[in-house]
Amino acid sequence: MTAVYPPDHHLLRDLRFSFDHDADARRSRAWMPVVPELCTDLGHARAGALATLVDVIGGGLAASAAAPGWIATADLTLHLVGAARPGSVVEARAEVLRAGRTTVVIEVALVDEHERNIGTATMSFSVLPRRETNPEVDRVRDSPSTMATASSRLDRPLLDELGVRVRDAARGVIDVPVTDWSRNSMGAMQGGVVATVAEVAAETALRAATNEQLVVADLQVTYLGFGRVGPVRTAVDVLGSGAGHGSARVELVDAGAESRQMTVVHAVATRALT
Amino acid sequence: MNSHERPEAGHHVGRYMGVTMREVEELHLVGHAAVAPHLRGPAGGVRTGALLTMLDNVGGLTGGLAALPDGWVVSTNLAARVVALSHVGPLRIDSGLLRRGRNNVVTSVQIRDEGTRGALVASGVLTSAILVPENGPPQWSRPLVLEPLFDATPDLPPIPEWLGVRPVGDRSVEIDLAAELRNPWGILHGGVVATLVDLAAEHATGGGWTTDVVLHFLAPNRVGPVRASARVLGRRTDGHVLRVEVRDEGAARTTALAIVTCATSA
Repeated sequence: MTAVYPPDHHLLRDLRFSFDHDADARRSRAWMPVVPELCTDLGHARAGALATLVDVIGGGLAASAAAPGWIATADLTLHLVGAARPGSVVEARAEVLRAGRTTVVIEVALVDEHERNIGTATMSFSVLPRRETNPEVDRVRDSPSTMATASSRLDRPLLDELGVRVRDAARGVIDVPVTDWSRNSMGAMQGGVVATVAEVAAETALRAATNEQLVVADLQVTYLGFGRVGPVRTAVDVLGSGAGHGSARVELVDAGAESRQMTVVHAVATRALT
Repeated sequence: MNSHERPEAGHHVGRYMGVTMREVEELHLVGHAAVAPHLRGPAGGVRTGALLTMLDNVGGLTGGLAALPDGWVVSTNLAARVVALSHVGPLRIDSGLLRRGRNNVVTSVQIRDEGTRGALVASGVLTSAILVPENGPPQWSRPLVLEPLFDATPDLPPIPEWLGVRPVGDRSVEIDLAAELRNPWGILHGGVVATLVDLAAEHATGGGWTTDVVLHFLAPNRVGPVRASARVLGRRTDGHVLRVEVRDEGAARTTALAIVTCATSA
C-alpha cells in the first residue's frame, strides 16, 4: 500500500479520466479519451478499458450514495453496442438507481462526443460499516476533476503495460501480475483491470475456438475476492458459439495466494463493433 | 427467491414451473424440470423467462440455505446466458455457493439438458441479499428435498396466457398483479419479473428470443399493473441489445432494470 492513492505512476492517472460529480450524490459524469493503446486489434476501445471507466465512476458515486457507510463492489456488467475509436472521447453518465441499507445499484450510459450510444453498464455494491482505512467520501467527491498529471499517459498498449502473458490460448489461461500500477486503494488488483484480464482471456479462447476475429462486447463480472499477490490466472470454459459470436465463462484466481477464487465472469464476443 | 412458507399461498409460480429440488451435498442443490409444452417459447425450447425462474428458484434456495441461521435471502440481481434454444428435457438445474458474505450470498447456476447428454442450456449467477424475516428464518430438514407441492396439472396455459400479458404500444407489455403471481411475501414473484422482461424484449423486437439477461431487482411490485418497457440500444452480430425497465404503475415507481440481448435470426 502506498501513502497516497493513486501513486504518480498509476493506471487511473495514465488513462486520463476526468470527472464531474453532482452535489446531490445521485449522478456523476466521467470522460476518457480513446487512444490507440486502449484499443483492440480491430481498432476500437477494449471492453476492459471501458469497464475501468465504469468501475471508477460507479465506485465513486456509490461511495457517496452509501455514506457514511462504505462499499464493496459486488458485480459489474457492460454491454457494448458501438465502437469507440481512437481520437474520440467516451463520456460515462452514472446514476444511482437504488441506494438501500444493504445495497447500492448504479447504471452507467456510455456515449461518444456525438451522443452516439457506445454501451451501457450496471454495477451493484454491498454497503459495509466504515473502517478507518476507507477514504473519506467528501475527499472523493471534492477531489480534483482529473487524476492525470502533465506526464500521465500510456507509453505502451494496455495489455503490455499490464504484463499479460498467454500460457494456453485454447483454454484461455493467461497470467497477469499484480503491480502498484494496477492496484486499487485496498492494495488489490483494481476492478476494471480484473475485467480487462477476463476480457483478454475470453477473447483469446473464443478466437481459438471459432477461428474468427471476435472481440468482447459484453462482460458480466461477479467479484468474489481480492487478488493481492498475483499472478492472477484465468481459465475459460467456452459456452457456445454461432456465426459471428461466442460466449464464455471465465474464472480468475490469485495463483500466488493458493489459487484463491477471485472472480467469475460471463463474456460475449462478437465481430467488430461499428 | 423469497419463499419459505408452505404450502399453496404464494407457490403457484413454483407449481407452474414444476421444479423439484434435492440437496445432493451441503449447499449443492440439484433441481429438475420437464420441458413441458406450456413453458415453450418462440425458439421451440423452454422460454428464457422460465429458465430464469428456474435459475432463481434453485439458486435462491441454495443462497437461503447458505444464509442460515442468520437470516434468509431475497434476490437482488440475476445474470444469465442462454446457449441452447431448443431442449429435449428433462432439464437439470445445478446450483452451488460461490460466496457467502456479511450481507449477501452469490450462487452459480447451470442448466443442462439431460435429454441431449447434459448439453449446457444456460449459465448464470444469482446474487441475494441476506435479510432477517419478521418471524425468523425458516427451518428446513437437511439434506433438503422438495417434491412438487401439487399434483401435476397436464393442461396448463402457455406463459403469456398464464400471466395475462397484454401489449402496450410497440415496446411495452403489462400484467395485472394477480394473487397467483405473488410470492409468499405478497409481492410479484421474481421469476415473473424475469419472464415479463423476456416478453417485453420479444415484443419490442417483433418476435426475437432472449439469449442474455442482466436483471437488477430494485424494489418490490406490490400494487400493479406491472409494465415492462424495452428500448433498443443497438444491434450486433448476436442480436439486439435492449434496456428493459419494469415499473409498478400502481405505485408509480421503477422496480427492476434489465439489459437483454435478443436474437432475431437463427
